[in-house]
Amino acid sequence: MQYQAAVAAEAWGYMAAAMEGLNRVERLASESAVVVFSVSTCCMCHAVKRLFCGMGVSPAVVELDHEPHGDDMARALARLLGCHGPSAVVPVVFIGGKLVGAMDRVMAAHINGSLVPLLKQAGALWL
Amino acid sequence: MASNQGEGDHTGLPNNQLMATNFFDQEGAAYFGELEEALMHGVAGITSDQDKTSFCTSRPPTLDIFPSWPIRFQQVSKTEGSTDSGSVQNTISQMDSEESPGSRKASSELFGKQKEEMASDSPQTNQKLKTQEKRRLVGSTSDKDGKAVDPKTLKRLAQNREAAKKSRLRKKAYIQQLESSRIKLTQLEQDLQRARAQGMFLGGCGTDGNVSSVFDMEYSRWLDEGCKNTMELRQGLEVHLPDADLRAIVDKCLTHYDQLFQLKATAAKLDVFHIITGMWATPAERCFLWMGGFKPSELLRVIMPQLDPLTEGQLVGLYNLQQSSQQAEEALFQGLEQFQHSLANTVAGDSLIESANVGTYTGHMAVAVGKFANLEGFVRQADNLRQQSLHQMHRILTIRQAARCFLAIGEYHSRLRALSSLWASRPRENLMNESALPVTTELQIVQQPVDGHFSGF
Repeated sequence: MQYQAAVAAEAWGYMAAAMEGLNRVERLASESAVVVFSVSTCCMCHAVKRLFCGMGVSPAVVELDHEPHGDDMARALARLLGCHGPSAVVPVVFIGGKLVGAMDRVMAAHINGSLVPLLKQAGALWL
Repeated sequence: MASNQGEGDHTGLPNNQLMATNFFDQEGAAYFGELEEALMHGVAGITSDQDKTSFCTSRPPTLDIFPSWPIRFQQVSKTEGSTDSGSVQNTISQMDSEESPGSRKASSELFGKQKEEMASDSPQTNQKLKTQEKRRLVGSTSDKDGKAVDPKTLKRLAQNREAAKKSRLRKKAYIQQLESSRIKLTQLEQDLQRARAQGMFLGGCGTDGNVSSVFDMEYSRWLDEGCKNTMELRQGLEVHLPDADLRAIVDKCLTHYDQLFQLKATAAKLDVFHIITGMWATPAERCFLWMGGFKPSELLRVIMPQLDPLTEGQLVGLYNLQQSSQQAEEALFQGLEQFQHSLANTVAGDSLIESANVGTYTGHMAVAVGKFANLEGFVRQADNLRQQSLHQMHRILTIRQAARCFLAIGEYHSRLRALSSLWASRPRENLMNESALPVTTELQIVQQPVDGHFSGF
């Protein structure tokens, strides 16, 4: 009986953490026009930050290794992206509160010309 | 003496008869042990004609080759006269057959060697030496027989025998190991050749060499297909194929490029360095290498003037494509730069000058190796950029223009490959003065343009 309770408690704890992570992600994503979830040591995150800066956009950066509940947020992001592999989740980009995706999605969006309108729509770019 | 001389090469033979009787003696073991020791220490000394005394003094007193031989030999020679060589030969073979089943096979080999060496000796020298030995022996022991019965000596001899035996066994084991490794190696080489010839090399082994050769083979197949596509495009444009048919060919070309990026992605997972250093490409292509492939904005710059006539909309679209390509390329490049900085700092560690302790060194190196995993991500993103650019070109252009676009791209790359061949087969007279091999000069060419990109790789 005690065991079952412990397992249940652990499951609840896990779910609570997951909910917490997702909530935080969603909250932070909606706070700015462009939000980049990053890790301070990640080189690809650096690349995506440079991309936005090069376009004249200043994104809000969330460094998961410096945030409380950073792990929960990383797990939530992984679930959002549907990636299960050991490769890093970050960088993950939200524009106008909506998920754009990881680096490859952002690149593809920029090449096919859909990124700029999205940024303009979110008010991150004026031109 | 004459009778002894008559025995010629077989100076040792009479003694074998005696050895046969001695073999099962207490002393038989001691006998062979001493034999082996002597052989190990170089029986060559026996052949020296001149310095008998030096021969005797140079060897430690415990190593008497034939302690009892000189005595017995003399006795035999006196009593038996000229021994029948035939019977002696039989004795020898008997000896060998007695020894081989036992663990004393090695000693019989040595004995065989010793026989040869004895055979090459001049009988007279042997005689004299044995006489010397006999005298020395008689002097050192109190036994009339001349056998070494000194217990300490016996003990030392036994130890020496043991050591000799051990080292013999070790040597045998090592040689066996070498032999089996050699056989394995030749088998592996044969398998490798066969597999390469058949082109059925599955890259499942995971070693870098295998992966790169698999990719190189698949890439050359891809190139062949690409040439076919290019020809089809050219023909289709020349005969003015209807758009529907041309579209099929153009789609085939696009899919063909998608296949390349898929191939490269798989190869990069296993051996990123092969991809990012462009070892799969020809030297001229490597001049322009950007993150393991062509630079989209640069390719577009080259191709665009040849796509005329273009509508206004198309021009704007292509210009935007070039712009966004450049921005994306710049961003990736800066990310890669940061990777370089981070890696360099890790490798440098705390102290390059003072010798780092093993712990911190291995720690730093392990972290550095871990960081290499990031490279694959950059190659993947670069290929993604290339793929997206090609697709965007396809979207912007009409079918006919797209056909010309892909034809131009295919032709451009094939000219670069031709350039590499021309360079490789250029006349070398004016290069005779330079000691540089063609490879070096190629490297020089690669160095200059690639500098400022990612010349580290």
